[in-house]
Amino acid sequence: MGFWIVLWKLVFVFGVGAFGLMALWVTVQGARDIKFLLDTLRGEH
Amino acid sequence: MEPFSEALQGTQFTGLDWGIVALYLVLSVAIGLIANRYVANMADYVVAGRGVRTALGIATLTGTELGLVTVMYSAQKGFTGGFAAFHIGLAACVVAFFVGLTGFIIVPLRRHKVLTIPEFYGKRFGRRTQILGGLVLAFGGILNMGMFLKAGSMFIVGITGLQNEAALAIVMIVLLGLVLLYTVLGGMVSVILTDYVQFVVLSFGLLLATGFAIYKMGWDHIFASMVTLKGEAGFNPLLAESSFGGDYVAWMLFIGLVNCALWPTSVARALACASEGIVRKQFMWASLSYMIRNIIPYFWGICAFVFIMESPMLTGAFFPVAGVAEGVDTLYAMPIFLGRLLPVGLIGIITAAMVAAFMSTHDSYLLCWSSVLTNDIVIPLAGERLSERTKVMITRGFVLLIGIIILLVSFLFPLREDLWDYMAVTGAIYTTGAFALLGCGLYWKRASSTGAVLALITGSSAVFGLGAVQVFVLQHLLRFSQERTEAIAGQLTGARVGLAAIVLSTAAMVLGSLLFPDTNRTQGDETWVSG
Repeated sequence: MGFWIVLWKLVFVFGVGAFGLMALWVTVQGARDIKFLLDTLRGEH
Repeated sequence: MEPFSEALQGTQFTGLDWGIVALYLVLSVAIGLIANRYVANMADYVVAGRGVRTALGIATLTGTELGLVTVMYSAQKGFTGGFAAFHIGLAACVVAFFVGLTGFIIVPLRRHKVLTIPEFYGKRFGRRTQILGGLVLAFGGILNMGMFLKAGSMFIVGITGLQNEAALAIVMIVLLGLVLLYTVLGGMVSVILTDYVQFVVLSFGLLLATGFAIYKMGWDHIFASMVTLKGEAGFNPLLAESSFGGDYVAWMLFIGLVNCALWPTSVARALACASEGIVRKQFMWASLSYMIRNIIPYFWGICAFVFIMESPMLTGAFFPVAGVAEGVDTLYAMPIFLGRLLPVGLIGIITAAMVAAFMSTHDSYLLCWSSVLTNDIVIPLAGERLSERTKVMITRGFVLLIGIIILLVSFLFPLREDLWDYMAVTGAIYTTGAFALLGCGLYWKRASSTGAVLALITGSSAVFGLGAVQVFVLQHLLRFSQERTEAIAGQLTGARVGLAAIVLSTAAMVLGSLLFPDTNRTQGDETWVSG
């Protein structure tokens, strides 16, 4: 059982930590991507 | 007082929290309505003019695939299966990363420049396969979506303590109405813009609530309690005594592939990307989202289990003495737990995040199934006579029609399994056939249209994994006794039926293609493009 407890702890800590960093990056970069999308739809790209 | 009413009474949800939720709803709909100005044709409406870049792609993929229904069924799995349920999230992460790394299915599919998966069937195998594929996809998809409203309503009841049935119905109809409004008007552009806002609210809401749960309950205490309450079965998914087992783990690996490479709402994001490189990057990064969308709600379900087992009143409500009373549905465990754990204000933000999840999934699914019905059934039948404007109008009509159908299914269909297993089986009605058609259609030159039709038909046999269908067939059609029905149903789990359907549909595809190869006349209208 010890193996599984360690595995799930690692999966949780790594997953939540990485997701938190990704969420920060997506929030900032995603706002710039919206501008690109709207420009594309206006036919500017 | 009834145990259920008693369990709902401890929530800390207040007027301030309702205010936060209402503010969020107004913001979402306003963005959706503004997007309407940017839609000029069917490609803008369905794939946002293919102008989506990596970060926005991840936001919209996560916004779509991390729905309230996902949070609800995952929390239920965590509640019933413990940490052993984490294998489902890990499998989803590994498979999505593999798909991103190799471009398996999604990259060659994108090269065909199709708007939907059945459109690829049409190009590769002909119109007959496209229409049949569209019908199977829409049937499985709409049935799959049927439980979204029910799960959403159960969350709102659990976290707010709202017990008035009429008020609850009004809340659900208003939510569905708002989603319909901005999806019908703005199509994929409004879906993507609102998905971005929903991603921000949802991601930080999930992280905040998880941190708060650990802070209040204690990291070591949660693990130690699970060891005491469930033993190894709460951690090892391969153990027969756990809620899973080896066949279930194999089934989850396939479902992981389904969710990222075969499920139309995910594939639609790949088709909306600006380049193949962005598609790959999007899926590799989103593999984290595929894991987290399961892992965090499992963790909430586990915390809810520990919390409930430490409260004699809640333990009595969820696990009453056999024969004395019926236990509260385990889907309510997580929202009741959050309602009691989170403070005023934070509970409003989390509910707004969950409403965000509810809306971002509904809008994409409504758009996806309606564009399949238009693009793969109506247009092939009508020929080239329809104008772009008429196509968008028909798609909007289907969005409304599906909204009405899911409202009916949600409240009328009897759910006999864990919600996650219902989702996996209804999804498999389409995905088992799609696996054979996409796998062989993209990578095997000799795959034929007869093989494709046979694979679609045999793949839809996965519907027999549903408990309600088994009872209908065995007890009502074949007149088996209740004991015999239950004994057979106990062996025919969703996982076993699903795995059998994959083998059958792939075999049908291969045998059908070898025995009935395409002649020039029966072939699809596109030259074979190598994967």
